[in-house]
Parts: sequence; C-alpha cells; structure tokens
Amino acid sequence: MATPPNMSAADFADGLSAMRSAVGADWVFDQPADLNTYRDFYSVLWGEPEEKVASAAVAPANVEEVQQVVRIANERRIPIYPISTGRNLGYGGSAPVLSGSVVLDLKRMNRVIEVNEDNCSCLVEPGVSFFDMYRHLQESGSKLMMSVPDPGWGSLVGNALDSGGGYTVQGYRGHFEAVCGIEAVMADGELFRTGMGALPGSETWQQYRMGIGPCMDGLFRQSTLGVVTKMGFWMFPRPEAWLSASVSVMRYEDLEELVRIANELEYGNIFNGMPGFSSPVLTQGNPIVMAMVPDAAEMNRMVEESGIPAWSFSPNFYGPEKVIRAQWEYVQSRFAHIPGVRFAEQSFVDLPISAEDMERIHKPRFGIPSLEIFNVGSRGYGDFNPSDGHIWFSAVIPRSGKGIIDANRVMRRECERLGLDLFMFAPAVTCWTRSFVLFAAVPVYKDPARNQHLREAVREIIDICAEHGWGEYRCPPAFMDDVMGAYSFGDHKLRRVNEAIKDALDPNGILSAGRYGVWPKHLREGRGA
Amino acid sequence: MITRRDLIKWGMVAPALAAGSQAAFAAAPQGLDALLVDERFPFDDAPLHAGVPVMRFAGDVTRVWYEVLDARWRERGFVLGGITGSDALFVLETLATHQGRRVVTRTPLAEPDARGVAPVSWVIAPHHPSVAA
Repeated sequence: MATPPNMSAADFADGLSAMRSAVGADWVFDQPADLNTYRDFYSVLWGEPEEKVASAAVAPANVEEVQQVVRIANERRIPIYPISTGRNLGYGGSAPVLSGSVVLDLKRMNRVIEVNEDNCSCLVEPGVSFFDMYRHLQESGSKLMMSVPDPGWGSLVGNALDSGGGYTVQGYRGHFEAVCGIEAVMADGELFRTGMGALPGSETWQQYRMGIGPCMDGLFRQSTLGVVTKMGFWMFPRPEAWLSASVSVMRYEDLEELVRIANELEYGNIFNGMPGFSSPVLTQGNPIVMAMVPDAAEMNRMVEESGIPAWSFSPNFYGPEKVIRAQWEYVQSRFAHIPGVRFAEQSFVDLPISAEDMERIHKPRFGIPSLEIFNVGSRGYGDFNPSDGHIWFSAVIPRSGKGIIDANRVMRRECERLGLDLFMFAPAVTCWTRSFVLFAAVPVYKDPARNQHLREAVREIIDICAEHGWGEYRCPPAFMDDVMGAYSFGDHKLRRVNEAIKDALDPNGILSAGRYGVWPKHLREGRGA
Repeated sequence: MITRRDLIKWGMVAPALAAGSQAAFAAAPQGLDALLVDERFPFDDAPLHAGVPVMRFAGDVTRVWYEVLDARWRERGFVLGGITGSDALFVLETLATHQGRRVVTRTPLAEPDARGVAPVSWVIAPHHPSVAA
C-alpha cells in the first residue's frame, strides 16, 4: 500500500482506521483497483515514477463527517486532497498534487440545498454536478438558467473553485465571479462561512457577497486552505430569447478598432452574452486552430483572393426579443464606419427551447450540460493524430487587437520551434469578465518519452509567455510551480503571502499540498519532491 | 461487490459480444439487464428484438446517460453490456465509476481509426456495496 510522504505504514493504517470509523468502512478506498479510478487520465506523467497518485480515498457523506476526517488528518499530519467530482480533465482530474495524499472525495455530498427563484440564486454541496442541477431545475419548473462548462459533467463547486468558465451571460459565465457565499471546513476542523453567512440568522448569504472586512471568498479559489462544503451562486433569470450575430471586417488593420468598440459595448452592457473573436480567413483549414497571423499585406491579399473576412466579432444577446434586436441594431451602427464591414444575424432562438431548436443549438450557450464534446472535439478536428487526452494551456493576454496578434504569433512560432502539437488554438476566449484568455489544447500521450518532451516544451512556453507579461489563469498540476513562479513581482511576494496565509491557517500543511504552487512549510524546500 | 461468480458469468458474455451481434444478443439474457449499441459501428439488427432491452446512440452518450443510465446507476444492480466506440466507453466508464460501478470486461473489436477510436465490447457492473444487487 502506498503511504503519504514521511509516514510509516503503521501510522497511516491507524489514520485510515480512524477515518473508517468516521465515514464507514465502505467509503474508505485503499485497494489498487479503487485508487486507479483516482488517477489523472490526462496526466503528462502517466506511468512514470513521478506520476501524482493517491494513497487512499475517503468519501464522507456530510459536513460532520468531513470535519471528523479533517481532524483525524490534522492530528496525524496526513495530507488530504479534496475533490468535488474530480472531472477536471486537462487540469489534473481527481489526482492529488502531492503523491501519497488521501483524496477527500466529496461526491456523496450532492444535495441541492436551495434554489431561490425570487433571489435568482442557489446553494449547493460540492458533489452536485451541472447535470444534477439541470435536472433539478427542469423537474422543479424553475425559471432560472445556470452557466455550464463544456463538458458539463463536473461539479458547480469544483469548477468555480478552479475558475472554470461557461458560455452564457457576463458576470455568470466566469463561474467564480457568480459565487456568493462559501462554507468551508478549515484545517483545524472548524466550520467557516464567508460573507453574510458569518452572521447568524442572516437571510442574505446569497445576496451580499462581501460581508464585513476583507472579502474571504478568494481564499478558497485554487487554494490549499479549506474544504468547501457549501457554495452559493447567483443565477440568471431565463431570458425570453437569444440572438447571435456577427460583425466581419476585411482588412488586417481593422482588428484594433473591432476589439476596441466591442469592448466598449460589452462594458456598457449593450450586449450581455459571450462574445467571440476570430479570423475567418485564418481558420479556413481548421475551424478550431487559428493559423499564424501573417503581415498586413499578405493577410489583405488572402482576404482579397478568397473573399473571406480578415476578422470577425460575434456579439451574443440574451433578453426580450424587442430589446435584443434594438441592441443589435445599435451595435451595427457603431461599426458602420469601417470600410467593407459586413453584418449578419447568425441565429435566433426563443426560450424555452423547442425540440427542433434543441437539435441544432450549442447547448452550453443555454445552460444545458452536454457530453457531446467527447464525441466531436476532444481528440482534435478531422483526422488529427490520435492522442490519449490533452492539457490546456491558458494564458491571460491583453484585451486588444494587438494582444490577439502578438499572442498568436508568439505561440504559433514557439510551438512550431519546440515541436509542440496543438489541436485547438484560440487566442481570445472571453469566458471571464473583461479578459482575453489564450487557449491551446496540447495533446498528451501514454508514452513517457513524448510526454517528457511535452513537459519541457510547455515549461519553456510558460517562461516565454511570462516574458511577454502573459500568465496562465489555471494549469495542470505538473506545471503549477512553474506558473506560480512566473508571477514573480516583488521577489515572488504573491507566493510568499500565500505561504504565510498557509502557515497561519494550516500549520500542519495537511490540505491540498502544492496546489497552485503553494506548499506547506515542511515540503517547501523540495517543492513536494 | 463483484463476486467471483459474477465475473465468470460476465466473462462468458464478453466474448459473445466480441463475436458480433448475433452471438452477443443470444448470450445477453444470461447476465445483462440491457445492451447499449453505438450506431457508428454497423451491426446486424435482426436479433435485437428478442430478450434484453437495447438502447442506441451514435457517439454522443449525453441523452442515453441523462435519460436512462444516470437513474439506473443510482439503484442497486443493473448490469449493462455494450458495443461502443472507445471514446464513448471512456465517458461511460468515468460516469459509472462515480456511481460505484466498474468495467469488468472489455474487448477491442477492431483497430482504432485515424482519430484513435475503436469499437469495443464491454460490460459495466455494480461494484460498490451501496449499489450491489
């Protein structure tokens, strides 16, 4: 049996025995076949001695059992690694960052505690999946819409804590941005509530996020400081309709103006849906991989010869038909001065969605979870060289035309130089408010030699992006130290502050050791090795 | 919990699934509660109407999982056999594991295509005591 680092088999067995007493013997897993299910199936360390694996897993049924397990771990200094459903493929799945940790699997805590139709909010446990919530909303006849990622098989809580994103309305589709109220079990086993949840008798936990003093919700994002056992979310009232449109321009030089006006319109709430930015002429060969942006003369020549626009911006609108059609009309007026600009209404859908529309829509745009992506897109477009999964490289870049072009050129050039395959590449994803995030899906394999090359190349890309001021917002465990290392302002003050908070709140360093580059004191020198 | 007897029983079903639809559906009533067929891979449909219920899909498991399997997998028992693409099996296996189930047999039926997807026959059965029959 694997054991946590620096722990004897006897002490570990004693800890697991105590955990069995807390949650029941059927819910403690320490056999190889059980632990295999907690591996990261997209790991870039698959099958290598350094692969991050669990020593055991424990699945409590309620908050009290979580508290007992945490106290047992804290008394014995057993590292534990909470997961909600562990479906975060491409960013680590259900495997711990520190090998030998006990995975705290919260899948049994799957209660939708409340959906408040008037407040447009919900309160859920971490094991509630997007499918669970969708079913709940459907069966209760709710008038609310949630934002879902794609695929939608993960947990609302887990996805928000990792800063996942959806495709719907501004302020909701950046899933941590929609959080209002957190309950967490801290390392000492005590229960903590953020915001108005700290006020006994309050009915405003899911209304006012801040409470009093520093806003504590951020302590739990991508963190090592607590086990989140409840989370509140703001939800969007289901709109009457959805309209998707496009604004296309025909010159290389038009991108800056296109993005500048689009930003102003979004920040002014003229459109509320997730906008898209792309280059039709540079995605002719593969719609999910944008080719390298050539110089202006070459790109304009390509546009002239093909008749395909250089750039496109796709605003999306949710609301009453009368309102969103007026908004679209206004959007068009703002771009009308650009020579050769083209406008098109791409799609209009009335809600509730008809059976006919259901067959043609991208469901996550409407808060409907789906697994279709595993069938159509997870392995690349067309006859892409098959892989065994992928990781995401996702760096925050400036929200401007120059930001798109610079990031595109640097990434395409450096990935080609390093021999790094990409099966999806989009330099301007907009799930998160006011941000462009460069997204690249990098294939991983079950072949250690290929993965070793991949790891070295990705580390180099992280450094290159950092030199340009672009930092990842999220990453797989193998690169968490590297990415945190890139946020180096003030001699790595960000990491040092995180470590100081870690030492204060989790002095024995039992919770999620190493997550996003924050290690407990006793593992800091060797960074968990 | 999967018993030795269960494994032997499903071990007999799996080669039958691998042999093709005729043998598979003839063998299915011995140990399976339902069969899942991925229509991306052509099979003889003739024997489907006798015996075990057959569910069909074409690559995307969302609907069959959401409308049928999610509920059945929350209950005790329910042994599911399938002939599907390996990509669909990956999704189903992940979802099944979450609900105390395991793939107890799997047999590739052909070489992977250019996208790395191969047809596979398999059996998913309850494993954890909370869902054992």
